[in-house]
Amino acid sequence: MTEKFYYDNKTVRNFAIATVVWGIVGMTVGLLAAMQLFKPVMNLGSQYTTFGRIRPLHTNAVIFAFVGNAIFMGVYYSLQRLLKARMFSDVLSSIHFWGWQLIIVATAITLPLGYTTAHEYAEMEWPIDIAITLIWVVFGINMFGTIFKRREKHMYVTIWFYIATFVTVAVLHIVNSIELPISGLKSYYIYAGVQDALVQWWYGHNAVAFFLTTPYLGMMYYYLPKMANRPIYSYKLSILHFWSLIFIYIWAGPHHLLYTSLPSWVQSLGTAFSIMLIAPSWGGMINGLLTLRGAWDKVREDPTLKFMVVGITCYGMATFEGPMLALKQINAIAHYTDWIVAHVHVGALGWNGFLTFAILYWLVPRIYNTKLHSVKLASFHFWIGTLGIIFYAVPLYFAGFTQGLMWKEFTPEGLLKYANFLETLKQILPMYVMRSIGGALYLTGVIVMTYNLIKTMKAGSLVANEAAEANPLPKDFVPQGSDKKAHRFLERKPLLFLGLSLVVILIGGMIEMMPTFTVQSNIPTIKSVKPYTPLELQGRDVYIREGCVNCHSQMIRPFRSETERYGEYSKAGEFVYDHPFLWGSKRTGPDLQREGGKYGNAWHYNHLFDPQTMSPGSIMPPYEWLINQQLDTTTTRSKINAMRTLGVPYKVGYENLANAALDKQAKAIAADLKQNNIKVKSDREIIAIIAYLQRLGTDIKAK
Amino acid sequence: MFKQFLENAEGNQGYLLSSLAIFLLFFILVGVFVLTMKKDEITYMSELPIKEDNDERGS
Repeated sequence: MTEKFYYDNKTVRNFAIATVVWGIVGMTVGLLAAMQLFKPVMNLGSQYTTFGRIRPLHTNAVIFAFVGNAIFMGVYYSLQRLLKARMFSDVLSSIHFWGWQLIIVATAITLPLGYTTAHEYAEMEWPIDIAITLIWVVFGINMFGTIFKRREKHMYVTIWFYIATFVTVAVLHIVNSIELPISGLKSYYIYAGVQDALVQWWYGHNAVAFFLTTPYLGMMYYYLPKMANRPIYSYKLSILHFWSLIFIYIWAGPHHLLYTSLPSWVQSLGTAFSIMLIAPSWGGMINGLLTLRGAWDKVREDPTLKFMVVGITCYGMATFEGPMLALKQINAIAHYTDWIVAHVHVGALGWNGFLTFAILYWLVPRIYNTKLHSVKLASFHFWIGTLGIIFYAVPLYFAGFTQGLMWKEFTPEGLLKYANFLETLKQILPMYVMRSIGGALYLTGVIVMTYNLIKTMKAGSLVANEAAEANPLPKDFVPQGSDKKAHRFLERKPLLFLGLSLVVILIGGMIEMMPTFTVQSNIPTIKSVKPYTPLELQGRDVYIREGCVNCHSQMIRPFRSETERYGEYSKAGEFVYDHPFLWGSKRTGPDLQREGGKYGNAWHYNHLFDPQTMSPGSIMPPYEWLINQQLDTTTTRSKINAMRTLGVPYKVGYENLANAALDKQAKAIAADLKQNNIKVKSDREIIAIIAYLQRLGTDIKAK
Repeated sequence: MFKQFLENAEGNQGYLLSSLAIFLLFFILVGVFVLTMKKDEITYMSELPIKEDNDERGS
């Protein structure tokens, strides 16, 4: 007997609205950050709006707010229909929706205030990390509850991608968020230096894989057949695609750390698996594009399909380029430059953005029981969006090659041709202007879409509960014919499926991380490397708060072009007390690993007060508040205690003497500044950050 | 270029080859899975998203 039931469209609608709203917010913040890079005045003169704090806000907003809500929209719509069941619990759906929005709001408030862990794409502090875990579990229960009460025996490939997404993101988030809290909004990662770097990039790489890729592939496998009204090109290929993708992706993280102090065998593994990754990625792309074989006439008329085609093509370009960037020879030039920024934006704007727009245009009219307000406007959005991507990516690729090669160029006499870092930056500023024009075009398209969708919503009315009917599953399943086959069996067992996916994704991570964490010889210790003084430790936290790591690396690669410019290359043993590591991934400014002792205290004071006076043409914002703000020394004791817990060898009882030592060092710096005619109290934040900068890289310098 | 790439592995070819072996084994297993699937299963599974009703609205 068939059962009558209702699909929940209200939650889908809520996530759709959140996607659009946060998309506009995240992209606007991105545009601001882009403009800050050629007009320092766009830092708006406030500590809450400098690039160092705005950039993490942009990345987190577009990844977790825009793409995150889009994933949930796509999942809640397709899961119900593929399983022929309403979502497991309306209450959980509601908690999931509002909980996620609260997390976003908390992030948007705390990041500009300077509460950051400095782990890229995971900058949120520990209370937010816990909230993310809880809400993710709510999402998981709701998804698996729906799977358990389904009326369709077999799970379509889309659902496998959703399951893999759920389990992997959970593992990544938890492992990457193991922190020791020292106050309500401040914590230290338990990992240090090289290990912290490995965890961060294992997370960072796989966040791209399992937050920006697998859920979207799942959505592609559902929405593309719906839009084109034909089944996927090859279901067999999709099975191969799924298993090999989730298996290989997890190994490739170390390609973000080529030529760093990471043990070389881990780097080699990362490279090898990155190359192999082309196969499943392109398998997926080809499967998507070939689904449209014989339906290309539809693509000409239907903007949703146009978005899908360009989106899937961008996926193909980004996943070809990724493995190329993982080759050491190419990485040597591309790493730390805008090439990487261009690469991720082809993926973000093309793949995630365009697929999201296609799904919105397709889905909103359906749940509102009407037609799209204007197909013409959607077409306009497609063209201005495509133009935006081109204007964004091409100049940045050019900027990346140019700067990467300039950093490496020597004169016939064997000296650096562009010894002044600023020369290489000034060369690419016009590219930064072009890039923000591209970003503005893309954002314009999104605003046009918003208007179009609002008009569509107003023309129809929300079918909050959509009626459907299906036969219930028989209580005792009797396998017939091919049902006994292994994969058919797996498709009926969601929990086993979850377990198997978990095993598959754990293999790579374990093989790479275990030796680095357990074998002593992988991180050779250096005797002269000592823990930071209390003042330096406090200064380091100011450095973290201001987001300096977003523009300055602390990792000199073993190239002559780098040792000439910055000094001795970085050793793994130098970072053993760095909780968190601050290697950075982009050099908008020069590397700071050997900054200590390079300039006097007065130079740093003047440079932080107004960078342009010391480096004419610099795009670094001024940090005058560091001079006005008093350093909070009430936290020194808990910071020393926390570091000792994490294995930094401060003597027991040192926490009681720490502030006295801090005062002494601060007074010495203030006295030195006074000799250079700079009057500043010794209890200011600028003293601490100068102390930290002067310490950088000095441990292994010959005295 | 490939030779250069192997040289860059700095004496760690063992890791490269074993990782390749693990992957090949895994790939072959999945391949066997896929090749033993019957045509009617494939058709059934691949038509799951487009078998639903009420698809006429919206477009």
